[in-house]
Amino acid sequence: MKLKLNYSRENIGKPILSDIILRTGIPINILEAKIEPNTGEMLIDVPTEGERLKEFSSLLQRAGVTVKEITRTIEIDRGKCITCGACVSPCPVKALAQDENWDIIFYEEKCIGCGICVYTCPVNAIRML
Amino acid sequence: MSKRGAEELRTYEEINQKIKSGDAIVMTADDFIKTVEDSGLKRAAKEVDVVTTGTFGAMCSSGAFINFGHSEPPIKMFKCWLNDVPAYKGLAAVDCYLGATAMSETKGFDYGGGHVIEDLVSGKEIELRAEAYGTDCYPRRSIETTVTIDDLNQAMLLNPRNAYERYNAATNGTDRIIHTYMGTLLPHYGNVTYSGSGQLSPLYKDRGFEIIGIGTRIFLGGGIGCVIGEGTQHSPQNQFGTIMVRGDLKQMNNRYLRGATYYKYGTTLYVGIGIPIPIINEKVAASAALKDEEIFTDILDYGVPSRSRPSVKRASYSELRSGRVEINGREITSSSLSSNKVAKEIATNLKGWIEEGAFFLNRPAELVPDHGEFKPLELRRKEPRVRDIMTRELVVGKPTDDIKSVARILIAKGVDHLPIADGEGKLMGIITSWDLAKAVAQDKRQLHEIMTMKVVTAKEDEAIDTVVRRMEQHNISGVPVVDHSNRILGMLTVNDISKKLIRRP
Ligand code: SF4
Ligand code: SF4
Repeated sequence: MKLKLNYSRENIGKPILSDIILRTGIPINILEAKIEPNTGEMLIDVPTEGERLKEFSSLLQRAGVTVKEITRTIEIDRGKCITCGACVSPCPVKALAQDENWDIIFYEEKCIGCGICVYTCPVNAIRML
Repeated sequence: MSKRGAEELRTYEEINQKIKSGDAIVMTADDFIKTVEDSGLKRAAKEVDVVTTGTFGAMCSSGAFINFGHSEPPIKMFKCWLNDVPAYKGLAAVDCYLGATAMSETKGFDYGGGHVIEDLVSGKEIELRAEAYGTDCYPRRSIETTVTIDDLNQAMLLNPRNAYERYNAATNGTDRIIHTYMGTLLPHYGNVTYSGSGQLSPLYKDRGFEIIGIGTRIFLGGGIGCVIGEGTQHSPQNQFGTIMVRGDLKQMNNRYLRGATYYKYGTTLYVGIGIPIPIINEKVAASAALKDEEIFTDILDYGVPSRSRPSVKRASYSELRSGRVEINGREITSSSLSSNKVAKEIATNLKGWIEEGAFFLNRPAELVPDHGEFKPLELRRKEPRVRDIMTRELVVGKPTDDIKSVARILIAKGVDHLPIADGEGKLMGIITSWDLAKAVAQDKRQLHEIMTMKVVTAKEDEAIDTVVRRMEQHNISGVPVVDHSNRILGMLTVNDISKKLIRRP
């Protein structure tokens, strides 16, 4: 499951995430991080589900971090797609690729729902779910 | 050396004879390359009669001539719109030219001339609106109706520049995402986009322009069209040859003609083109056998908003098509904008047509020139540059200046931006009046505690529009002007620009 974390000014310098990783033993993957003087935003992939995921989120919340589950993903209308490839290289996490016939492959588990491919597609074949 | 277009291995008549009897050997360029690898160029050239090519990409210089027929009472249309997209009406009463990049007056970027052409070809109903001033012979002043392609007398695709031999690839060296006619480009050389079908590219397969010329019959948008001559900006000496083409929209098919939108750039038309290459001599065969590995193009930095964009790297189509390009030791994802799949499909379809005897080759009336001029537009009237309108009387701060006293000076002088310099006048940072107000509230003391160190700047000789665009992108209202050693020369603010430019006649 992918989580979007928002840090406020108060907790930005603290090692909250590393504490929780050590405590739960869940190895996370940081997909995107934007730290500004007053706020921090991070997109992480937590490779777990159910109770363990709940525990992970609630530890973050208790430390004052806002947590949002990212379930957004995209859908490609194959009838409209002209297999141009315009959406492929701009995808920041390589969730889109082309097979040997140049048809588009979508790796849903990698997608972070950023929406870049949606507006990039010249024939409007991708929509956000 | 033999003359361009010399029919040494076979004549057009001989090829057509073989097509008629079903004996012509036709191959796509992909297969011809393999044949040459297996049996050598000489033998392959002897055996193969025709090599087919294909490309399917965004071609902005495209459009259609349309004749609506006369209404009762008749109208001399002065302005006209198809689905709210304006068409060019500087022609006779009911003729117009609809360009692919014209945009809908109601839907903007989402719908344009390219989309209208696709909708026409798909048989959809199109809203036609026209206005006129009324004459003795054409009394009607307006029209509002719908048309389909079957209602039109002529619907002729006529594209002034198509099928570039190859095209530049694109990347972006700036620190922000940009949206261009080369698609979305991520910051810090985050990706590479390219266009053109490489070893299937129709014009690259006739590099010497031995067979393409006025009248050459081609696959166009799913129908049969022809080459009218060289295209605009034709520059074959730089491997940027182009062609002008025409074809009947009524024969075409929306799989090979698609309206498209490039985000924050505009609308265009994806056009499918395939050219049959008759192997009339060995030079033609050698060109038709060129492989992706041998076709190179420059990857340009589209982050530089100038007509002379720097080349980051020269790459082959084989590297570009592999999906990964190495730039400065890093592996960057690359992807195309034109469809490699549809390009291949076009070459295969064209091969099919010839084998079935549904398509014959023809000798052009005149070959496309193998040389062309491609000059930039030099501007004759003097345009203001940054140096002409920047403010030179400057308030410049030092990093150790006291925030409160600086705030007082800025208010007294009514300035919003304070560049901060070191002892030699070199730019170190910038502060806005907003930063100062915040700092006073937070009880900060010296400028260096609050200054922004990553400063967006301008150079003295830059065009105003370039700097305005930069300010828009960074959402700022002023930039320090610096020389090549980063010494501050002045400030340019949105205020300066509006004050000076509004006075223009
Ligand atoms: S939404 Fe973003 S992450 Fe998901 S496929 Fe599109 S570009 Fe990639
Ligand atoms: S950009 Fe759109 S049309 Fe092109 S490959 Fe991606 S989904 Fe298909």
